[in-house]
Amino acid sequence: MPMKTVFSYAKPYKWPIVIALILMLTELSVELIQPLLIAKIIDDGITAGNRETIILYGSIMMGLALLALVSGVINSFFAAHAAQSFGYDLRQALFRQIQAFSMSTFLRFPTSSLITRLTSDVTMAQNILFMGLRILLRAPLVVIGSLVMAMLVNVKLASFLLIGIPFLFVFLFVMARKGVGYFSEVQRRLDRVNRVIQENLQAVRLIKAYLRGVYEGSRFSKVADLLRKDTVKAFRMMELIMPILLLIMNGSLMIVLWFGVGVVRTGDAQVGEIVAIVNYAFRITGGFSMFSFLIVAFSRAQASSVRMEEVLLADDDREIMVPGETENGNEKRGALEFNNVSFNYPGHPEQVLSNVSFTINPGEKIAVMGATGSGKSTMLNLIPRIFTATSGEILLDGKNIEDWPLEELRNTIGLVPQQSVLFTGTIRENLAWGDPEARPDELEAAAEKAQIHASIQRFPANYETRVGQKGVNLSGGQKQRLSIARALVRKPAILLLDDSTSALDVKTENALWEALEGERATMIVITQKIHTAQGADRILLLDEGEVAAYGNHEQLMDQSELYRKIAESQLDEEVADDGEQRKETLRLRTDH
Amino acid sequence: MVNNARKPFGYEPIIKREDLKKGTKRKREEVGDWKQAMLNVWRLVDEQRGLLITVLLLVFASSGLTLLGPFLIGKTIDNFIIPMKTDGLAMQIGWLLAIYTGTSLTMYFQNFWMVGIAQNTVYKLRSGLFNHLQKLPVSFFDKRQHGELMSRMTNDIENISQTLNSSFIQVFSSILTLGGTLAVMLYLSPLLTVLTMTIVPIMFIAMRWITRRTGILFKEQQRAIGELNGMIEETMSGQRIVKAFSQEERMKEEFALKSDRLRRTGFWALTYSGFIPKVMNMLNNAAFAIVAGIGGLLVLRGDGIVTIGTIVVFAEYARQFTRPLNDLANQFNTVLSAIAGAERVFSIMGEDAERDAAEANGDIQLKGNVEFRNVSFGYAPDTDGYTVEDVSLNVKAGETAALLGATGAGKTTIVQLIARFYEVDKGTILIDGIPIDELPRATLRSQTAFVLQDPFLFESTVRENIRYGKLDATDDEIEEAAKKANAHEFISRLEEGYDTLLTADGSEISQGQKQLLSIARAFVADPVLLLLDEATSSIDTVTELEIQAALEKLMEGRTSFVIAHRLNTVKKADTIYVMDQGKLIESGSQSDLIAQKGMYYTMLQQSKL
Repeated sequence: MPMKTVFSYAKPYKWPIVIALILMLTELSVELIQPLLIAKIIDDGITAGNRETIILYGSIMMGLALLALVSGVINSFFAAHAAQSFGYDLRQALFRQIQAFSMSTFLRFPTSSLITRLTSDVTMAQNILFMGLRILLRAPLVVIGSLVMAMLVNVKLASFLLIGIPFLFVFLFVMARKGVGYFSEVQRRLDRVNRVIQENLQAVRLIKAYLRGVYEGSRFSKVADLLRKDTVKAFRMMELIMPILLLIMNGSLMIVLWFGVGVVRTGDAQVGEIVAIVNYAFRITGGFSMFSFLIVAFSRAQASSVRMEEVLLADDDREIMVPGETENGNEKRGALEFNNVSFNYPGHPEQVLSNVSFTINPGEKIAVMGATGSGKSTMLNLIPRIFTATSGEILLDGKNIEDWPLEELRNTIGLVPQQSVLFTGTIRENLAWGDPEARPDELEAAAEKAQIHASIQRFPANYETRVGQKGVNLSGGQKQRLSIARALVRKPAILLLDDSTSALDVKTENALWEALEGERATMIVITQKIHTAQGADRILLLDEGEVAAYGNHEQLMDQSELYRKIAESQLDEEVADDGEQRKETLRLRTDH
Repeated sequence: MVNNARKPFGYEPIIKREDLKKGTKRKREEVGDWKQAMLNVWRLVDEQRGLLITVLLLVFASSGLTLLGPFLIGKTIDNFIIPMKTDGLAMQIGWLLAIYTGTSLTMYFQNFWMVGIAQNTVYKLRSGLFNHLQKLPVSFFDKRQHGELMSRMTNDIENISQTLNSSFIQVFSSILTLGGTLAVMLYLSPLLTVLTMTIVPIMFIAMRWITRRTGILFKEQQRAIGELNGMIEETMSGQRIVKAFSQEERMKEEFALKSDRLRRTGFWALTYSGFIPKVMNMLNNAAFAIVAGIGGLLVLRGDGIVTIGTIVVFAEYARQFTRPLNDLANQFNTVLSAIAGAERVFSIMGEDAERDAAEANGDIQLKGNVEFRNVSFGYAPDTDGYTVEDVSLNVKAGETAALLGATGAGKTTIVQLIARFYEVDKGTILIDGIPIDELPRATLRSQTAFVLQDPFLFESTVRENIRYGKLDATDDEIEEAAKKANAHEFISRLEEGYDTLLTADGSEISQGQKQLLSIARAFVADPVLLLLDEATSSIDTVTELEIQAALEKLMEGRTSFVIAHRLNTVKKADTIYVMDQGKLIESGSQSDLIAQKGMYYTMLQQSKL
């Protein structure tokens, strides 16, 4: 029951909801009493020629009008509070749930769709709650009240009105169900529209460089047109409700009139009763017309609830954070061991890693090399459990990483991803990601090690310079160094660098490695550069997801043809004109 | 629960006293904005004038039929039921059925077409905004959050959509009913009408009080949604980092803050706008009281101006009078919230598009001579100074130029200037001797291929991603390009080869493979000018060496700019330009630079350490 799941978040606002409903009923009663009071004024006041009575009841009517106003205004506060807080809680729950998703669950939902679910879908649910507190009860009450009154007036005639009612309910039920289908399609289309916009924002430069503005425009028109068509379809469907409803109700009225003459003739009813019943029929029609409104809102809320429930109940493998269990002071040594680790991405059967086994001692620096697509980055992502190995085990300090509390595991690791991601905020805030409690001098020390301190100082606002989507233009290398600094701030036991120096020039890179010498962390460095690999204690060579070789530079030069090939490919690079001499140099260096 | 009248349920007020002051600058600007925004939306609606008039006619008809129905029922009661006559009753009921069928039909079709009009308008608005975004300069996007812009395309436009769907018909039919009822009321009793009308000024004052607040609040609400959207988009796009740094709690806190801001503005917007129907109801009830009370006293005066019958009928009409007023007032709110959305949409539409040269130089076939004359450029030159300063260089058609230098030296900026992503601040860039700003962008970019630092792939198949370089490329051309870029092999190994669907996250292929696809894309494009910005940085050196020959072949006969840190990519260039802190400090061929023993020489030495 999607609605039930979603609306369970309204429970904490039980009292505001109840109060809002009571206030709404107060208003409604005033409205219903008014005609009675007019009757009083006419019968007891005007007909009796009693001025005081007129003034008395007139004042009472005024007073009641004020009472209705006051209840209405207070109702506004309570209804708005209930609806907005419910929406807020729902958004919180969704966001928290998404943050707890494992990466593979997360990837099941496109980000553009998650965005729609967190905003548009929440609004739909919020709307129906607010509407409910304002008019939901009113419609059925008007209908039921009028029916009861009509029955009291004349059962026989009123029963004609009842003929149409079952049809109406079946009709409304069918429409509501259809509406859900139609409106979930609309929300899905909205996801697509969102996605195309997002792609266009992310790829502004690419689109401009290839002059694809017009092409993208037509691509967008296509998805926007589908959204338009489905929206039109859904609403046109819903627009059927009112006319058909009116037709059924007015049809019943015709029956009342048709048989009315006969009933009056037999003396079973009086003319006045017919007039009254006709009047109540009008009111019932008025009441039902509110339903068409409600059914649209209901269908949309139901469609959105299904989408939100998908997120809320997708807990097949939630990441469980147990921050309380962190054993403080128990410093990690940083020993890592891979035991027959295999991995394939969910939904893709191709093995990215197969039977990877190796050990790293605390404080060692390991270089990972291999061809494009050989599984280097994937392997790195398994260590902080961004993804979980399909089989085999990874041990940190002798204990399976799945047995470590997740937060503790990740807190020991500093990951520098291949594509630098910075968040909107200042440089200081971005660095403090590594450790929110880090002191300014610690942040600066990390920046210094990452060779970015000097550049930061040249920025107009120093460490307070804004970066991220709304920030300054940083070069690729500057972003890389900031994300290295962010990882260093954590003082990690394990530092994972995923080809994070690709945009750095040789001088800066050398200075960086030199600065990192002092770190006591276990380092795993993915690199393309043999030169960087040479500085490592050992080199792990991956080939199509398997370990091809593991050892130091000299051993690999001896044992691995693939490694020699890589080495030679870069040897060439340094050999401009005179290959032999350089080869000599390399040999000398490797012998060293 | 309500602990403080100023802060009900702890919601801090949003509106400050000075926001409501008349004549403040902010206020005046906003008035102009919303009028313009409304006008703009109206223009789009008006483009469908034929349908619109049909809808209005139908509203007219259905309003008339709605009034006719009860009138005929009254007649039926008078003429058939009271005299207990059945002759002609069937006929009468037949008429009534016809009228009610007509009511239903006109009602259905007016809505049917109105939904079409509304959604067409929304579609045009969306596409218009999107197409305008395509024309905006790169610098516009540098300073904005993706999710915030997305919100304008979805949440803000959604508001407009809802209003157009329902409000238009409502407003029109309310005005009709209002006019009709007023006429009948005047006919029945001018005196009571005037008395009833005393509520109208009160209504106006109340409406003004409310809408001055809701106008501001709706705008704040849309802004809050936009910011929340921005935050969500950014977080979700960087979810891996959030996880790796276990910053979930921090994101949750930040989200809660933004989400609470939305709750707060939403609360006040809903509360204040919720007042409108309540005030209308109260006036409705008050009108009742006035008619009954004062009317009653008038009857007692016995001058026959007001009778009991008049009061009974009049009370009913007074009710009918206030109902459309109530509807109008409610619609006013919806319209206000749509305007809040429209303003945000049109503020983007108001952004200046990239300047472009006239089509005069349209179909020029470029040769590819690129010259920089004392070019200076800064992303924010006033505060940050120049990123590229006084750069002059001259690359002849068909030559390869390599850009070298420390990170942040300005290399990427140089190639972005050639693609004219930004306008230079000083100096000129000449392409084939024509100043770059006199060359239509289409001419320049259609003959340029750019492989960017961060490869981007669309959520589409591998094939379509390569085809992006040349939209009419055949499948053979695509495979050919993939082979040259050394991508064919890994593509073939994918489950569905070239038809493999790449997801937004793109985790199924590696960064290096993405770069290979970007290079294949450039191969397909077959450009005159080739800009390679770290095109091979994530590709292993063995593969790089393998595509080197193909790349060299690609560069043959084209003017190429290459940025690379690995020197082997650079060494074969005709000219190597060495940059440092935005300035060009050395240039020449590899042997020239080695001979100079300058910065290049030092870099070469360092790379061998």
